[in-house]
Amino acid sequence: MRVSRWRAARPGPAGWTLLGILAAGLLAAAALGLGPRDLLPREGGGATALRFFRAALEPALDYEDPVLRERASQPYVLTLLLALWRTLAFACAAILASLWGGFGLGFLASSSWWEDEAGDPGTGRLFRGLRPAVQAGVRLLIGLLRSVHELLWAVLFSAAFGLQPITAVLALALPYTGNLAKIWSEMLDEAPAGPARALRQLGARPLQVFLFGRLPRALPDMAAYGFYQLECAIRSSMVLGFFGVGTLGLLLRQSFLEVHFREVWTVLYLVFALVLLMETWSGRLRRRWRLA
Amino acid sequence: MTRLPADLRLDRIRCLRRERPRLRGAGWTAAGVVLLALSGFASGELRFGDLLSERRGALLRDFLRNEALPPELRGEAFHVLAWLRWLAGVWTGPEAGGAIASLAIGVLAVVLAGAAAVLLMPAATRTLMTRDPFLEPPESAGRGAWRAVPRVARLFCVLLRAIPEYIWAFLLLGIFPHGAWPAVLALALHNGGILARLGADTLENADPRPPRSLRMLGAGRGSIALAALGPQCFGRLLLYFFYRFETCLREATVIGMLGILSLGHLVVEARARDRQDLMIAWILLGSLLVLAADLVSHLVRRAVRRQGLS
Amino acid sequence: MFELAGAAVRLGGRSVLAGLDLRICEGEQVAIIGPSGAGKTTLLRLLAAGLPAAAGRVRVLGQEPACLRPPELRLLRSRIGFVPQDFGLVPNLRVWRNVVSGRLGQRGLLGALRSHLWPSRRDLLEIHELLERAGIEERMYHRTDTLSGGQQQRVALVRALFQRPRALLADEPVASVDPARARDLLGLLDRLAREEGLTLVVSLHDLELAREFPRVVGLRSGRIEFDEPAEQVDPERLRSLYRLEDGGGAA
Repeated sequence: MRVSRWRAARPGPAGWTLLGILAAGLLAAAALGLGPRDLLPREGGGATALRFFRAALEPALDYEDPVLRERASQPYVLTLLLALWRTLAFACAAILASLWGGFGLGFLASSSWWEDEAGDPGTGRLFRGLRPAVQAGVRLLIGLLRSVHELLWAVLFSAAFGLQPITAVLALALPYTGNLAKIWSEMLDEAPAGPARALRQLGARPLQVFLFGRLPRALPDMAAYGFYQLECAIRSSMVLGFFGVGTLGLLLRQSFLEVHFREVWTVLYLVFALVLLMETWSGRLRRRWRLA
Repeated sequence: MTRLPADLRLDRIRCLRRERPRLRGAGWTAAGVVLLALSGFASGELRFGDLLSERRGALLRDFLRNEALPPELRGEAFHVLAWLRWLAGVWTGPEAGGAIASLAIGVLAVVLAGAAAVLLMPAATRTLMTRDPFLEPPESAGRGAWRAVPRVARLFCVLLRAIPEYIWAFLLLGIFPHGAWPAVLALALHNGGILARLGADTLENADPRPPRSLRMLGAGRGSIALAALGPQCFGRLLLYFFYRFETCLREATVIGMLGILSLGHLVVEARARDRQDLMIAWILLGSLLVLAADLVSHLVRRAVRRQGLS
Repeated sequence: MFELAGAAVRLGGRSVLAGLDLRICEGEQVAIIGPSGAGKTTLLRLLAAGLPAAAGRVRVLGQEPACLRPPELRLLRSRIGFVPQDFGLVPNLRVWRNVVSGRLGQRGLLGALRSHLWPSRRDLLEIHELLERAGIEERMYHRTDTLSGGQQQRVALVRALFQRPRALLADEPVASVDPARARDLLGLLDRLAREEGLTLVVSLHDLELAREFPRVVGLRSGRIEFDEPAEQVDPERLRSLYRLEDGGGAA
């Protein structure tokens, strides 16, 4: 009896997974020396927090600094809008740049670019012998591009030749190229093979099968992911402001360091609005796209 | 069969084409993205010249020839083994604790994010938050005061995830100036918002029959979520969890640039000391860490799929 | 037109068709019937030069696919219209784009790109006329997945006709439509095949519908059980065709 009750109480695979995750969390907390007690703000942290959240109720519509209010070369709203425009423009430029790399590398990394259906006689493709080398090389390149964070690319570039807006865009574009290439290649491979099979049957050559059977089938998913990456790129472009590029992050950082919390909230509200807008917009697009 | 003359047929085709159902919005989105990018170049903010100028070339050459090389190896001919020995020495040196700290921050953050998401998820599930979940006739479903709950919960998720981790951490540093909590909390807040939203979508798409039969037996919302929806969606939720683990670790390596001990901190420190060689070594180590996390997450997700949990 | 002599096909190490002898002449109309798993789809794909034979001889339109170089093989395939059971259409493309793909086998890469991006007037006229004859011309510019199953079937059929094929093969064309529409669809196939002077081979699982065809081939476990005019098919043989392999045991 006792044995069977013990069995019933023993966690199943799901339970073990949860326990493992929990244990990993505790271990990590111990390694960092973190306890819940450290969450009680000290050294005026509490007062700062209070002041910060109180400022949420009255976001700034003008410079908080009285001197700037008098002498600034441009009104606060214009500064804000310029930073917003830069954030968007840099993100869009980066995504546009990474589209090409994403397509090219994504094609080469996908298996459907290279593969013919087994048993298909002699639809040999040029350079087919190169497949293992090229595919492995491209996948490695994609992994490298992805594994270095855009902020680290930015630091690297600023060390190598100084951070300019264009280098910031490049720093954004590199990891996003990797992301797009990786996910797109998976989407191309996972797209249903029915259309491709039909086109091969009617005599299309392998490249045509890929371009007119595989690619269009995967395109809606690819576009949705591209849009999501644009959203991420906008957030990253904002953060690049912390490194001296004139995006929203720069404004936020300056305002916070000068304890102008009301200005900080203005930027935060702007970001909320932007993200909400993109959220609804992309939702609507997606819904229309898969109409049927 | 009567055959239409070609010109009449062409008219008909043109008419059909004109009246085709259009996908409005996609074109506008693409145009907006292109225009914004072009405006960056047209206004002179972005200049290709900056990338190619003579001075920049000289800087880059100097960087690659001198600064990027460790002092110990300068002047020597390129030697792979010496390089590897040097890298190994840096990576196992006293500062390498930063890598472990990054790992720990990432793990703790994703566990907290998961916990927060589990708490928030049911509230954001539209099928669960109705007056009589899973039993309401479709015409009255989603009416009444209950409808506000998932709306508010989802809005909250968006707010959490709208702010990048890096900015969360920057703001939290003002409140907790010491220790790693700002980094952990920042990652947990952002990713918690994402996980809650993904999880709520999963719960909404779950098979409604098990929860419905539980509801018939008089179960409350909490027990429905725990006993009927949770087990059904467990695999999928786990997939999302490990997918976010990957990103958490990636972000954890950079968030240290704000001055919290992690790889990012080592990177900016090396840069401040003008030791570009060390900086590159740390970036490489971070890249390896992220690749390893990718691999672990990939293996776990494959195991989950194999087990048929999803 | 089609000629199999002792043809066999193995897929994934399993023998699907074995020792098949079949001759289909120009302009014939043939129904292939048999229980699911009998190898009907495989047989159709073998006839369409879409599969290599493991043994025996296969002649399609007077050529032996096994002896052809890839470009010649593609050209041969482009002369055979094949309507797969899953239609093989790209659901998120508009109808005319799916149809214009029919001629991919006869166009180079650039020509194919041009026909998709800037279709010539001749192509459009031809597509519209074919769609009209299939009864769905007003759907020419609609997204394919907004069409009903039967309409998508017709799109796949029109794509096959746009190939300007010499033979039309349809795999279970009535599997997903109700009986009234099934008769309708077969009537359409028959009419179009006659108008274009095409050889027609259709696989079916419904005996009643197969009776409309002048010639019926019964397939079971990868072998031909009978091959005769519809009116001569013996009901007893039909029943044995659909007998469960291990159901009766002693039977």
